[in-house]
Amino acid sequence: MLNLDYRVMNEKKHIDRLFQEKFKDFEVAPNDAVWNRINENLPNKKKKRRIIPIWWQIGGVAATIALLITIGVSIFNSNSSSTVNPVIVDTEEKHPTNNIENDDTSSEYKTNTLNPSENSQNLQLVTTNKTEDDSENTSSLNSEAKENSSSHALTKNPSTKTKAVANQNKNSKTKQPKALLNNRFNKRSAIVSTENNTKKETSEDKSSLNKTEIQSAINKSIEENNTAVAENTKTSDNNSVTNTTEKASELLNNEESEKASLLDAVAENSEDIDEKENDDEQNRWSITPNVAPVYFSSLGQGSTIHSQFNENSKNSEINMSYGISGSYAINNRLKIRVGVNRVNLNYATENVIAFNDANTQARGGLSQGNITFKNDTISMVSLETLNRFSSPEAFNTKISGEIDQRFGFIEVPLELEYRLIDKKLGLNVIGGFSTFILSQNEIYADIDGNSTLIGKASNINTTSFSANFGLGLDYSLSKQWQINLEPQFKYQINTFTNTFGDFRPFIIGIYTGLKFKF
Amino acid sequence: MSLDRLIKNCIKQDAKAQSQLYKQYASKLYSLCLKYSKNVAEAEDNLHDAFITVFSKIDQYKNKGSFEGWLKRITINTALQRYRNQFGVYDIVNEGQIEDVTVNLDDSDVSIDFLLKIIQELPDRYRLVFNLYVLDGYSHVEISELINISTGTSKSNLARARLILKEKIETHKAKLNSQSL
Repeated sequence: MLNLDYRVMNEKKHIDRLFQEKFKDFEVAPNDAVWNRINENLPNKKKKRRIIPIWWQIGGVAATIALLITIGVSIFNSNSSSTVNPVIVDTEEKHPTNNIENDDTSSEYKTNTLNPSENSQNLQLVTTNKTEDDSENTSSLNSEAKENSSSHALTKNPSTKTKAVANQNKNSKTKQPKALLNNRFNKRSAIVSTENNTKKETSEDKSSLNKTEIQSAINKSIEENNTAVAENTKTSDNNSVTNTTEKASELLNNEESEKASLLDAVAENSEDIDEKENDDEQNRWSITPNVAPVYFSSLGQGSTIHSQFNENSKNSEINMSYGISGSYAINNRLKIRVGVNRVNLNYATENVIAFNDANTQARGGLSQGNITFKNDTISMVSLETLNRFSSPEAFNTKISGEIDQRFGFIEVPLELEYRLIDKKLGLNVIGGFSTFILSQNEIYADIDGNSTLIGKASNINTTSFSANFGLGLDYSLSKQWQINLEPQFKYQINTFTNTFGDFRPFIIGIYTGLKFKF
Repeated sequence: MSLDRLIKNCIKQDAKAQSQLYKQYASKLYSLCLKYSKNVAEAEDNLHDAFITVFSKIDQYKNKGSFEGWLKRITINTALQRYRNQFGVYDIVNEGQIEDVTVNLDDSDVSIDFLLKIIQELPDRYRLVFNLYVLDGYSHVEISELINISTGTSKSNLARARLILKEKIETHKAKLNSQSL
């Protein structure tokens, strides 16, 4: 037993020692890929430092552009609103010099309107009153001035109305409708009364020209739902005391009928404002400079030049199209866009023999083709048709070349874009049409590496069209910037006046662009 | 660059220092990973995880004991982490049976590749216990704490591991002999 125990111990030690000795200096270099993986996952400062500035730069650029735009927009908006205000000031300044009586009427009017909250509107109304009063009182010449003032008032009204509505929204709601109604009621009633008064007054003055002009002005203003004329005539009411009773009854009659429509108008106004606010949040407009490799070919086998080339093999180089397009988002999904592109295309007919011969009859049927030759001595024959006949020896020794047709267009695409996937990586379908205006038209003979201008095609229309279909991929870099990739197929319509064989031309282009939304 | 300097630069997350530290210790730690793992892929994963831990916690190295020891502990710990939660209380082995085994071993010329292979082929816990006890000098008490098993289990696992290894070496030798004959 002892012996056995010893042996077991010994053996155990042995196997342990075997492994210990063998593994003592055991080292294996790991695969380099392991370090690469570690390095990628390391919290490495230097790397981060590099990464962060790039994003800061891009972010900074985006931020400055956004800032410039917001500043620009706000300046633009403040300008437009400030242009309205001076008009009011002007009319106010005019008025004191003209008439002292009007001051009374205006003060009366103020008390009548019952609208302490809507000072701006009252002010405006008053001022327009006065100017128009003046015009009526002074002379017929003033009718023009009146029209002017009424048009002023027209421009002013929308802004003041919206202002008033906005103010009212802030104020207690219960007061608003009343105030507005009062306001409107005054205006409307005044409008009605104006018709009567002006007629009477003008007839008294016996200036018929004046009457018609004033009437037309009033009609205009009524159509526009303009307030200015209304108050104007109201003041005239004050002048003519006899009419007051009539007016009062008319006012009462009109009052009720107008109320409903006024409420509607108020509702519409507030809706308009809401819509405008929503619109401002979206970037509806965008502009996209784009570039595309384009390829011109035909669906069927045919030739634009001559029937003898129908069966010749054709080729086309990849050409470039450059352009810019702008789009407007009708809603979240649908955009309409229009652009201008410069497109250069080429189309080469292979296996053609070109030769110089003074004898134009040697051209065979080519004279009936669609080439306007620059120079009478050059002729071309398709090698494929030639082989069918017993050809002169001379032809066989010639090296065959290509007829290279080059044409360029200014393309104006008008397309609709529908957004299928609205994510950071978006997908759109595009459909529309383009108008092509011919800008380049040349035919070269490419023989043995030399290319010679031989003339131009006589069958290309100066204006042609295409039906466009495409798929658009886009990737948003930021709220404003987007990269686009759009493979498009453009089936050309009416490009050539006459072609041979089954020639149905199309363009394939892969349009890439950088879109800026604003 | 001295080791102190190297460690300090690694604390500053200097890429060059990190690369140098890796170069200096990768082979040693990788061999450790190979022993504790089933295969190369697992060993590489293990090495990766270990170095990520090393670089993220290098500021916690307090110069107590050797730096290499610290690295090895992290590496072994990483390897054990993989299995720690898998071990239940099962597999209580009859220890008496195991102690009887006798093995006849010569001074062998078996290759280290073969030895590594048969270690990797051991069941997970046998492999860990064998490595910890025989090759890295941990006691059964330490092992029981490290991988959350009893010392008895640790002992029996070690014995089983030895047995399996011996058998494999013997069959391997027999094979070699028959081939040479």
